[in-house]
Amino acid sequence: MPDPIENHELDQLLGFHEHLPADDFTLNVMQRVQRERRRRRVILTICGLLGGAFGLVGAVLLSEPIARLFMGLPLIGTVQAVLVVVAAAALYVWMMDEDFTLKA
Amino acid sequence: MLSDLELATRVAGSDDQAAFQALVERHQAAIRGFLRRLVAGDHGTADDLAQETFLLAYRKLPTWKASGSLSSWLHTIAYRQFLQFRRKHQRQQVMAEPPDAGFDPGQSMDAEILLPRLMRLVSAEQRACLTLAYAGGMSHPEIVAVTGLPLGTVKSHISRGKQKMQQWLKNNDHSFQTAGTSPASEARHA
Repeated sequence: MPDPIENHELDQLLGFHEHLPADDFTLNVMQRVQRERRRRRVILTICGLLGGAFGLVGAVLLSEPIARLFMGLPLIGTVQAVLVVVAAAALYVWMMDEDFTLKA
Repeated sequence: MLSDLELATRVAGSDDQAAFQALVERHQAAIRGFLRRLVAGDHGTADDLAQETFLLAYRKLPTWKASGSLSSWLHTIAYRQFLQFRRKHQRQQVMAEPPDAGFDPGQSMDAEILLPRLMRLVSAEQRACLTLAYAGGMSHPEIVAVTGLPLGTVKSHISRGKQKMQQWLKNNDHSFQTAGTSPASEARHA
C-alpha cells in the first residue's frame, strides 16, 4: 500500500506547471503560419495561371467549331449551354472557396 | 474574452491571424509542457514538436469538430507528432541517461529537474497518461480520446507509472519543491 503522504507529494509534482513564456514561441509559430500562407498563395496563383493559360489555348482551338455549333443552334440550346457553363463555374467557386478566402 | 470555439470559427471562416495567435498564446504552455514531459526534458525537440503541432492545427482547424474541447484536440495532434518523431528517431535513439546518474539523494531538487528524471523511468505511453491526467487535468475518457488507448490501459498506465516513480522516490529518500501545481488535477484524481 503506497504511503498516502508521499502519494500526495507525487500528485503535486506531476501537476506541476512550468512557467513557459509565450512571446518567442508564439512569434515563431506565427512566422511559420505566414510562410505557409504565402506558399499556399503562390501554389494557388501558379495553378490558376496554368489553368488560365490552358483554358485560353483550349478556347482558341475550339473557338471555330464552337462558333459553328452556336450558329446552327436554336435559342433554347444556347440557354442550356450558358446554364452548364454557369453551373461549372459555381462548382469551381464552391470547391475553391477556402482558397479564395485566403487570397482576400 | 472570446472562447476557443469563437476564435477557431474566426480562423476557419476568415483566416483571422489575430484569432489564431490568441489560440496559440492560450494553449502553448499546456502543449509545450506536455511535449517536454513526453520527450523527458529535451526542451528543443519539445518546442519544435509544439510548433509543428500548432502549424498542423492551423491547417486542420476547419475540420475540427467542436464536440470536444480544443485543448484535447491539440493534445491529440501533439501526441501523434510525438509518436511520429519517436518512430523516425527510434534507430538513432541512444540509451536514455539512467535516472540515478549524477543524482545526489540528500539534496532537495527543483521540480523542473526532478520531473524529467522521473519521466525517464516510465514508458512514453505512461508519461502521456500521467501528464494528461495530472498536469492537463483530464478525465480518463478524455485521455482515451487523446491517446487512442483503451480505458483499462490508461488506468493501468497511470497506476503503474506512479508506482515506479513512488518506488524511486522512496529508494532515494527524496524531497522536492514545486513552484506551482494544478489543484484541479489533484481534485480530479485524488
